Amino acid sequence: MTHSVLDGTRAGQLADRDIHFEVEQFYYREAELLDDGRYADWLELLADDLDYWMPTRTNRLRRQQALSIAARGEAGFYDETKESLAWRIRRFDSGMAWAEDPPSRTRHLVTNVRVRHASPAVDEGVTESDLVVKSNFLVYRSRLEREENVFAGQRADVLRRLTAPDGVTDGRLQVARREILLDANVLQSKNISTFF
Amino acid sequence: MTSTIEPATSRAATTAPSGALRRPDGLIRNLDVAGLVDAEGGLLDRAIFTDEQLYRQELRRVFAPSWLFLAHTHQFQKPGDFFTTYMGEDPVIVTMNKDREIKAFLNSCRHRGARVCRADSGRTKNFTCTYHGWAYDLQGGLVSVPNQDGYPESFRREDWGLVEVPHVETYKGLIFGTWNPESVSLRESLGDMAWYMDAMLDHDDEGTEVIGGVHKWVLDGNWKLAAEQFATDWYHVNMSHASALQVMSPTGKKPKDEIVHRTGRQYVDPNGHGAGFPVHPKNRFDAPTVHEHVDYDALRERLGDARVDGPLTNGHATVFPNFSYLPVNGSIRIWHPKGPNQIEVWAWTIVDRSWPDEVKEAQRRYNLRTFGPSGIFEQDDGENWSECQSIAHGFITNGVALNYQMGIDSEREDGRFPGVTSELYSDAAGRAFYARWRTLMNTPAWHEEDPS
Repeated sequence: MTHSVLDGTRAGQLADRDIHFEVEQFYYREAELLDDGRYADWLELLADDLDYWMPTRTNRLRRQQALSIAARGEAGFYDETKESLAWRIRRFDSGMAWAEDPPSRTRHLVTNVRVRHASPAVDEGVTESDLVVKSNFLVYRSRLEREENVFAGQRADVLRRLTAPDGVTDGRLQVARREILLDANVLQSKNISTFF
Repeated sequence: MTSTIEPATSRAATTAPSGALRRPDGLIRNLDVAGLVDAEGGLLDRAIFTDEQLYRQELRRVFAPSWLFLAHTHQFQKPGDFFTTYMGEDPVIVTMNKDREIKAFLNSCRHRGARVCRADSGRTKNFTCTYHGWAYDLQGGLVSVPNQDGYPESFRREDWGLVEVPHVETYKGLIFGTWNPESVSLRESLGDMAWYMDAMLDHDDEGTEVIGGVHKWVLDGNWKLAAEQFATDWYHVNMSHASALQVMSPTGKKPKDEIVHRTGRQYVDPNGHGAGFPVHPKNRFDAPTVHEHVDYDALRERLGDARVDGPLTNGHATVFPNFSYLPVNGSIRIWHPKGPNQIEVWAWTIVDRSWPDEVKEAQRRYNLRTFGPSGIFEQDDGENWSECQSIAHGFITNGVALNYQMGIDSEREDGRFPGVTSELYSDAAGRAFYARWRTLMNTPAWHEEDPS
């Protein structure tokens, strides 16, 4: 596959089958790492300048629907940098993070993957080699004996291709930006101790 | 253990007309709970966390007569701004009317009883029931009844407005309401607790504001487990939050000794409120940006050394029955009861209105990462409460008394902090919380008085 050369006409276009396959495999790998509790390895899939945001959702009158997703700076379940995610992950290794000790069993299902070439003219802070991806997720959590939770929602990502020191694109993808919309108003769970 | 069944409710709980309706004796039964709470000896019967009948009695005798937290005044900027919440399990609409007064109404149509507002918040001119179209204005008045001609001559719209919460009062930005028409004022019910609340609410003349939105989540546990912990329990911090303290310490290896071994005080309120806090001249806000911004000298000038060394910069607190807060985070929350086995937590972040935007943002992010459903502290609290609840229904388990004896007889007036205080590590405010609960549970509320 050649990803290093992108002519400007692809900006905003749906990506081809090869790229869709590549992105799906990237997400399946990510889901596997999360379900296996390999959080340090998962972190390597995230860009150093990561913006990871999961706002709350509210019930609004239809004419005020625009306000139904909390804005930046308002209440969110996650509003993280790579550093703060690393901070959260270090907690699990303490042996005293009781919400995950014994660990939960999770299953991250990722579907409905829609990949477009980023359009710098439309999307803020992207380059033409970035991919703008929407996907749906269903995360199942089984905890202790009988506790079960289902988290459903959508992710909107900006995926970036890593560049090697010599300036040649090395092909690997990283998540540079992720906006997670959970389809719940009152979170039906005693906590959120996993990632999406 | 004595357990007697008391007479039934004998009068309507609200001023809404009820015609010839009379609730029969036996529909509602009250239990004597004196034998379930040994506040003096520090023992509790676990039935108070699990029993459905006791829970129904709590809604009548603990929640209905008490001042309950509704919202923050900052959520209401213009007439028609509304916020829907609960008082106990009763849904209410809190709204600003045309005179810019905050009012609260039962969110239930007087016709067939559906909610007349199903949005969490917003702005509106009226509340219209989606079932048959009865519509109410911001004063709660019934302003529209489709096909009103079908009702008898005696039907008067003014008799069928939304049921209004009789008393709504604010304390420094926090709005509370009570259904008890004969209640003492909010300020009187807070007593010396107000001095401790001021450590969070009164840093300067501008007061506090809410950062947009409410975190809402459910957990399987009795509401008292959470309310009690915020009233009385610094003890759990070192164990429950060991992992969080570890990752937050400079070395990342173990919590700082000065945190683990710090001493402090716990305020024990006769009305069941409680607040605990380490006391140290270098107590400070945990979010570095906030710490660097605040003028501790000005705070000492305004609030005194005792408050700055103590409850201003750390600790936990509960306003009886189910409003709690963490002063250092500006995390305020209400524990909505959803049956004896479940809590719905609603949590807001408040900040000083006078803070620059970047300081407010720092406090918001710090709070999100430490408290709230994904917070590295709060995750473990939820785990512990659901753990306590999940096994409490076992017959043998339920009958094994729980220990609330830490700091027994330590309560005293220490001359520095108002009212009666105990040690930082103590169950004293918990014993007072349950003593207050016992008193209310065994006292007929206003709606149980003989109407004659």
